[in-house]
Amino acid sequence: MRTAKLIEQCVPLSLYLINNEYVYKLLGKTGLPVWMLGLGVDRLRADMNRLLAILFHQGVLDEQFLQLQQLQDESSPNFVFEVVTIYFRESEKLLRILRDNLSDREFSDYAKMGIHLNQFLGSSSSIGAKRVRNVCVAFRAASEQNNRLGCLRALELLEHEYCFLKNKLYELFQLEQQRSMAAGVRYPAQH
Amino acid sequence: MMENAQRLQVSSLNTVGSSYGSCKTDGLGSDEFPVGLRVLVVDDDTVCLKILEQMLRQCSYHVPMPFGVKLYTCELKVAEAGTISILMRSMDRDKGVGGPNTEECWVHRNWFNHLIALKLLTFLSIVAFPKLNSDPICSLTTCSQATVALNLLREKKGCFDLVISDVHMPDMDGFKLLEHVGLEMDLPVIMMSGDQRKNLVMRGIKHGACDYLLKPVRMEELRNIWQHVVRKKWSGSKDFEQSSIEENDRHKRGGDDTDYASSVNEGTDASWKTAKKRKDTKEEEEDGELEDNDPATSKKPRVVWSVELHQQFVNAVSQLGLDKAVPKRILELMNVPGLTRENVASHLQKFRLYLKRLNGVAQQQGGIPSTFYGPGDSNAKIGPLGRIDIQALAASGQIPAQTLAALQAEVLGRPTGSIVLPAMDKSALLQASLQGPKGIPVERGVTFGQPIVKSQPNISKQFPQSSILVDDIPSGYGSWPPNNLGTISTAGNGGLHTQNGGNGSIPLSQNSSYSGNNVIDYGLLSAQSVQSHSSSVGLGQVSDASYKHTGGLNGYSVPVSIPPVSSGIVHSDNGTNWHVQNSTPNLSNVNKVPGIVSNACEIEGSYGLRACDLQDQGSARSYGFVGRGTSIPSRFAMDDFESPMGNLGHVRICGNNDGDIVKQELNMDFPENAKVGVPVIQQFSPNDLMSVLSK
Repeated sequence: MRTAKLIEQCVPLSLYLINNEYVYKLLGKTGLPVWMLGLGVDRLRADMNRLLAILFHQGVLDEQFLQLQQLQDESSPNFVFEVVTIYFRESEKLLRILRDNLSDREFSDYAKMGIHLNQFLGSSSSIGAKRVRNVCVAFRAASEQNNRLGCLRALELLEHEYCFLKNKLYELFQLEQQRSMAAGVRYPAQH
Repeated sequence: MMENAQRLQVSSLNTVGSSYGSCKTDGLGSDEFPVGLRVLVVDDDTVCLKILEQMLRQCSYHVPMPFGVKLYTCELKVAEAGTISILMRSMDRDKGVGGPNTEECWVHRNWFNHLIALKLLTFLSIVAFPKLNSDPICSLTTCSQATVALNLLREKKGCFDLVISDVHMPDMDGFKLLEHVGLEMDLPVIMMSGDQRKNLVMRGIKHGACDYLLKPVRMEELRNIWQHVVRKKWSGSKDFEQSSIEENDRHKRGGDDTDYASSVNEGTDASWKTAKKRKDTKEEEEDGELEDNDPATSKKPRVVWSVELHQQFVNAVSQLGLDKAVPKRILELMNVPGLTRENVASHLQKFRLYLKRLNGVAQQQGGIPSTFYGPGDSNAKIGPLGRIDIQALAASGQIPAQTLAALQAEVLGRPTGSIVLPAMDKSALLQASLQGPKGIPVERGVTFGQPIVKSQPNISKQFPQSSILVDDIPSGYGSWPPNNLGTISTAGNGGLHTQNGGNGSIPLSQNSSYSGNNVIDYGLLSAQSVQSHSSSVGLGQVSDASYKHTGGLNGYSVPVSIPPVSSGIVHSDNGTNWHVQNSTPNLSNVNKVPGIVSNACEIEGSYGLRACDLQDQGSARSYGFVGRGTSIPSRFAMDDFESPMGNLGHVRICGNNDGDIVKQELNMDFPENAKVGVPVIQQFSPNDLMSVLSK
């Protein structure tokens, strides 16, 4: 009880969003989460790698995402995060449009939908969201055949995949954030 | 005309060079080259945009500007005691100091502020001056709207080296953008899309994209895109380089053989080009059909670019100059009802594209002979010549059916390439002359092409006393417009002319622009003359067209007013040559020029074509000619069309031999409407020729 309160006091609100279980598990004697002590860097990195491996294994991500990570350099330290944020913003817009289109019973402009889908496809494949991309391909195929039912089904699947991806990626970013913060903790050199 | 063309080439080189501006054109080959390549990325997808930007940045295509500073030059003036004036000029980095965009502002400081001014100055000189030459200032610009991108490109012409564009764009189709960029800026454009359907990729290619990237775009692909810029640059400056190379050759080697060979190249190039051009037109028409099937374009009525229409188009372009030709102006000049700006725009782009392709071909062909160079090694030269000619012939064999169909009425095309001239008194003759082996024209070309070539070395060596001095030829050639122009058909002229010393193989190559028939005839003819006495070759192969330019030179001048009978091949180049021979009965009496004459009478008359054909040829010619983006399209051709009326052929042949000037004036009476046609060609069926030559 007491430790939880301590965390609440010490951790700024924005950082407190990091409410993974193991933050609590890793509490040290000080009552602070381990990453604040700058000790959990390796462990956090291992966690990230494990999560990434799972996502790769499940086919959620592909190597394009790794390329994205390689693109991150000192000139833009938050590159992956920024790109993915833009991606979520844009794709939510697109998903809304698609949903609106399909919920309209008289909708018939499948060509326009195809353009939206192409954009979705392009951006998804650019960040390496493999499963979303695959669903997009199926969606596009359905829209080319003017198959409204198929489109609706594909849209649902797409939304599902999208949400899954979003959750997983946020998890990843949280780990990343903790890791960088832990790496940022410096103690004065001991003599 | 020549200067004109050269200037054109130079200027195109310049524009390419200046578009590199900061990344130093001459550094293309250096390790640093792709660094600082200026890329414009157009995509409505911000995610892709961002990723691409980062990727390109990492490919070091982008070197960020330090702090958005303008560059200034400063001029310091102490106007009066206590006042210091500083003239600050902003440097427009693309135009250099004092360019049209120069801003000037005077900063007045009183004495009190002197110190501040000095500080400012030192600041500026530190910040700005080191950047002037050393820093590759360039930018990678991203754009999410095609129209914005287009405006940007228009405003900042020469600021970008490469455009990467998405196919799907909300405000404008990516292909449209591609077309605009191709037409207006002539930049390499790379298309990208998540859509890998083949018809889309095809469309991209058709509209002139130099590459098509599939999303996700990978670093590996982007690392290599600079090649398109280099390719573009080289293809732009190719002509210039080529001509300069040739000139160097000419200066370096005085030997007959070498000069000779280079002129041979010239001729073969030309034939290649014409042949290639034909193919291109064919492709284009096929394209048109393809597009017709394309659902996206099927709504628009298809415009058939007939030869006449294309001729008009080419005239318009040449009037405007290739660089300044914009679809709207062309449309105005063409003044064809029913033609839209889009039609012209896309045709212009195709036109540009295949000019480029032609250049490429010429370049390749030009490269061959140099490897065959070697003083005294005449066989080596023959190799490429014979081969290329054959290719040209082969190409020309394919063509007639199509082009002639477009020309309609005058000439009927047959798949075999044989021609029937309708409603002509000489048609019988022609028929007769065609009666030889009615096989595929290509084959004939082959059989003739080679023997001719074989006899070539003999000519230059055994008959040095013949009126043609090889040395002289190149000197005329150097200042001779058609060659330097590198225009397609006139290049043919040049080849013809300079090759005089050599042989009749040139007519072959020129004929390739006509039809299979002519090819054969000329082939025979020249073969004939070569065979009889190789010295004949030099005689009178100067064209009318060339006459105008060569007249002052020490080459030959053969003004000929063409008699109605032989008006046939008024394609100016051949015209004279064949006239001389056509009229040989008289010629032989008057003329003491060795060789030719005796045989010429046998050859006589096989070249009847009607003036109307000339018209077509002329158009075909100038069409090729303008194709190279130079001016003065069909002047020669037109000149000659007038001449058929003249009955008097006046031939003056001036051979300049070792400083010995031989002048022979020939006055020939061409009988009015004389039936010059005596189909003698049959006598020289390929077999005969071959046997004679091979002995």
